[in-house]
Amino acid sequence: MEKLSALMDGELDAHQARQELSRLKQDKELLHHWHTFHLIGDALRGERALSQEFNQRVTERLSGEPTVLAPRRSAVKRFTAYALSVAASLAAVALVGWVAFFNNPLTPQPEIAKAPATLTPAAAPSPQLASVPSDGKMNEYLIAHQEFSPSTAIQGLVPYIRSVSSAQPAKGR
Amino acid sequence: MKGAGPSFLASWNGTSVKLIWPIVFLGLSAPAFAAEESASQDGLAWLKKMASASRQLNYSGIFVYRHGTQTEASRIVHYVNAAGGVFEKLETLDGPAREVIRTNDQVTCYLPDSKTVIIEKRSARRFPALLPEQLTSGVADHYTVREAGRDRVAGFDCQVVVLEPKDKLRYGHQFCAEAGSGLPLRARTLNEKNEPLESFAFTEIKIGGGFNRDKVKSRYAAKSKDWKIDRSALPIAETPAETGWVLASQPAGFKKLTELKRSIAGRAAAVSHIVYSDGLAAISVFIEPLPKSRPAQSLSYQGAVNIYTRPIADYLVTVLGEAPAATVMQIANSLEFRGTAK
Repeated sequence: MEKLSALMDGELDAHQARQELSRLKQDKELLHHWHTFHLIGDALRGERALSQEFNQRVTERLSGEPTVLAPRRSAVKRFTAYALSVAASLAAVALVGWVAFFNNPLTPQPEIAKAPATLTPAAAPSPQLASVPSDGKMNEYLIAHQEFSPSTAIQGLVPYIRSVSSAQPAKGR
Repeated sequence: MKGAGPSFLASWNGTSVKLIWPIVFLGLSAPAFAAEESASQDGLAWLKKMASASRQLNYSGIFVYRHGTQTEASRIVHYVNAAGGVFEKLETLDGPAREVIRTNDQVTCYLPDSKTVIIEKRSARRFPALLPEQLTSGVADHYTVREAGRDRVAGFDCQVVVLEPKDKLRYGHQFCAEAGSGLPLRARTLNEKNEPLESFAFTEIKIGGGFNRDKVKSRYAAKSKDWKIDRSALPIAETPAETGWVLASQPAGFKKLTELKRSIAGRAAAVSHIVYSDGLAAISVFIEPLPKSRPAQSLSYQGAVNIYTRPIADYLVTVLGEAPAATVMQIANSLEFRGTAK
């Protein structure tokens, strides 16, 4: 369970990741949990579309991996399954809360309204979203935004340099 | 007091009695309070002065844009003609050549590398540029504004104005305005550790001088005739519209500035555009139909601007603005469609 979650978070080194992947390959139940985890995580973030591709990629990667035969320790397996089911239940509770909230957006209930924000980081086994330098794909939006930004009112055209900054490869679409 | 008092006091109605207390209170705390208040007023006055100066003055110079470890120099020319027309040209001096030209309400970006012209035209009547008064409303509620001594930028004495955020929803700002005209010579955006995320600073500037149309013309005006042209807001006029999208939890202090349906350069379908602002920082929300590629969520940044994209049902939502990533993501994550027409 810990390892599976670490694998999801991209925290395992190459060797550990390979071990964990081969474990996933052997254990159908574990693989199912893995899929469920991702579905829940995706649903919590409102991206059901991602998971299908993702599942497919993982399955493809798994079928391409050599099978490492190692004796399985049943005690460990039972613990993992138990831990996973607990985690999955917790995530499911969060999902129910989330669904309940988003199905009733017109009834403003501040306590519930806060729920997705507080539950998501705890329940979603998603990797922390890392911020990367902009690749220039959003330049048109940056230009459209700039017009309404007080920074333009204060500094005139100067902040427009952001929208054409050379750190971004010029995009030919 | 009213009941027990002599008859002349009876003519003192409740309002008058209530008025006394603030006066007493003000009297006690006056020295500290007044000093703080006047520093804040002075700071806000400088902010207005900067906005007016950069609109009304003629100036030309070279400024450096610093973000992360990158530094880029650009030349800028700003002219206002007798009729009040604004002409501005920004030209990069480092790296690939790029130009941004503003003629009144139209902004044109020339990108010679990709032989692309991006035209952004604003409907001036509907959306006038932010007025200095609008700019400062609400600023003092969310930032501690103060004057912070003098500095020197590009050979000019300038007044430092600091805006410290009162919460973590926004970034800090520091400006240095030319002492005489108020023209902003340096602007820095600071993160919660007071480290600069980006800065714009003139290294050389000439303030004043006559209007010269040639200096604000693009050098690519002729060459770009057969370039790819991305026009925004031309086929579909910007129309103020209810987009049907609302925020379930609006970050404190950010008010909706405008909401419209518009076209965006490079996007085939109409895009909903909603702008929120706390008076100093702005956050734009763009909602477009989900492309077939079904992009996953992503977070990126350009200087102090954070950009977060996520799919919501059949839509792709992009939220960007000069605010911390958490604020930008909060807006994206609390967006809901409550309209009827899909």
